[in-house]
Amino acid sequence: MAIPSKTIKVFEELLESPQNRLVEQAVESGRIPIGYSCSFVPEALLMADKLFPLRLHAPGLAGTELADNYLSCFVCSYTRGLLEFAMDGRYDLLKGWVFVPSCAHMQRLYDNLEYLQKPDFNHILDVPRKVNNDTLLWMTEELQMLADKLAHHFGADMSDVSLRKAMEQWNDFASVVQSIGDLRKKPNPPINGAEFHQIVMASLASPKDLILPYILDFKKEIEQREGIKNSRARLMLVGGHLHDPEFIRVIESQGCVVVADRFCTGTIPGFKTIDINNDSPYKILAEYTFAKTLCPRMMEDFDRRLNTIIDTVKEYNADGVVLEIIKFCDLWGVDAMPLVSALRDNGIPVLRLEREYCLGGEGQLRTRVQAFIESMGK
Amino acid sequence: MIVAGCDVGSLTAKTVIMKNNEILAAQVVRAKSHPEESAREVMDKALEQAGLVIDEIAFCVGTGYGRTSIPFAKMVESEIACHGRGAQWQMPSVRMVIDIGGQDAKAIRLDDKGNVIRYVYNDKCASGTGRFLEVMADALNIDLTEMGAVSLTSQNLISISNQCVIFAETEIVSLVNEGKDIADIVSGLHNALAHRVAALAKGIELQEDIVMTGGVAKNVGMFTALEKALGKKIKNIGRDPQINGAIGAAIFAAERLRN
Repeated sequence: MAIPSKTIKVFEELLESPQNRLVEQAVESGRIPIGYSCSFVPEALLMADKLFPLRLHAPGLAGTELADNYLSCFVCSYTRGLLEFAMDGRYDLLKGWVFVPSCAHMQRLYDNLEYLQKPDFNHILDVPRKVNNDTLLWMTEELQMLADKLAHHFGADMSDVSLRKAMEQWNDFASVVQSIGDLRKKPNPPINGAEFHQIVMASLASPKDLILPYILDFKKEIEQREGIKNSRARLMLVGGHLHDPEFIRVIESQGCVVVADRFCTGTIPGFKTIDINNDSPYKILAEYTFAKTLCPRMMEDFDRRLNTIIDTVKEYNADGVVLEIIKFCDLWGVDAMPLVSALRDNGIPVLRLEREYCLGGEGQLRTRVQAFIESMGK
Repeated sequence: MIVAGCDVGSLTAKTVIMKNNEILAAQVVRAKSHPEESAREVMDKALEQAGLVIDEIAFCVGTGYGRTSIPFAKMVESEIACHGRGAQWQMPSVRMVIDIGGQDAKAIRLDDKGNVIRYVYNDKCASGTGRFLEVMADALNIDLTEMGAVSLTSQNLISISNQCVIFAETEIVSLVNEGKDIADIVSGLHNALAHRVAALAKGIELQEDIVMTGGVAKNVGMFTALEKALGKKIKNIGRDPQINGAIGAAIFAAERLRN
């Protein structure tokens, strides 16, 4: 296995709290953190001027006693975890929230935040559920409305020039992360899945410009590594929200290596670079967001979701797919049924795991993964 | 070539020692609070039974929830793979294993070499497991080992609606207070558990021959109830079904030495 990294400790520390030291540093310098929970929110839009995006996560969530008073136990543990942290003052540095009606649970979270905390800035980006010329126009208008609201509320410069600069910054950042991700295609990848996810999650939860120097340092370090040898299997991880890198670490403790990540907080295809052409920045971002987000909330898009997984399995030479779904996530729960069958029909072994937002039942997880690897004859 | 398999589960620890493809010794002990302690105790008993010392074991494979804590295991395998391999060694025609252990229940589909094709697992609550029966035996104040025989004397069908161990216990107490016959209650419990496990197994398509392994397979009432719930005959594996995982581990150990 790869030599444990010293730099990786930096990312570990940044993931200990949603209000990490880089977030505090940016806020102290007058910048404005905006929380978001869904990949349909284009990060580049929230990187304009003095704004910066923070992917909402609830590290070390121990229970949801406060949130359970307002959200039913049939609401997924991620949604309840976010409300718990909000009510416990762990997002107090945030100046605004941007949600997407990705599912009924997230809409209830928005409602409860409105009711309980009355944030100064709380916006729902009404993303359409189909992709065609009409909905592209709709999404373009939605992004423009959000930008106008941000400009009005925070005095942020949301001009075309400012947005183009933000998109370039996103591209600089995403291309570095993607170049590290590409190293996982190697027969002996120099980085395991848990480490890679640590970098991705830390960067989603920090100002991109402040974390980028650490990522570049880490890249230099892993380029010197020999690579992981003797892994029993190469796996691709698929699903919705996955925040805790420990989940991947437990999977990899069974002798496999996770080489590809197609989930909401993964890089395939979430960390694509933006094609900055002569269209309006909103249209560019609308097209980009539809292209880089593969979510079961979208209608008539199953084949694209399936084919992306199949193509990624081939590209990264994965032996099998682990499909992880947070309990009570109806979107992924329903999509998983045809997805599992279709992947198996394509000769791809699949392990379906139901889990809670926080890592639990490690023993059971290990047994399932070990048996999955054995069933692949590895 | 002497090999061993050690299966440390949540309620019991099992060891099987084999020589030249034959079982020399097999032991089952109640699990201690530390898996390492359980493993040592059951191995010591098996060694004593076989008249051996630990150094004479050429290779030992560990399995079960405590597999990574077995000090003398040189390799670990999942209990799913071990139950598959153990069942196939005992009965080559086996294509499906239903294992009900203390902490989980699983159904495993096998190929003709005993390799796992698909499996399904219930390990999130105690309702489909041996622990369910243990709690119910306590609630009824009867010995766990008597439940099978008691249930066979049942005359009336009782439906136990609660699958949750905690609420089922309350339901049992209510039935006892209503004066229901213990045999009918036990039979109702077996049916409830059997239907839950059968639903699990049907999820990966039933294959024949089917065997039942794990401690619960010793319960004749449960065995019969599961056959009814599956609508298929379950074959008797012959040896103690509780040691099947340890047998599979020992077979893996022998294969490892051969290769």
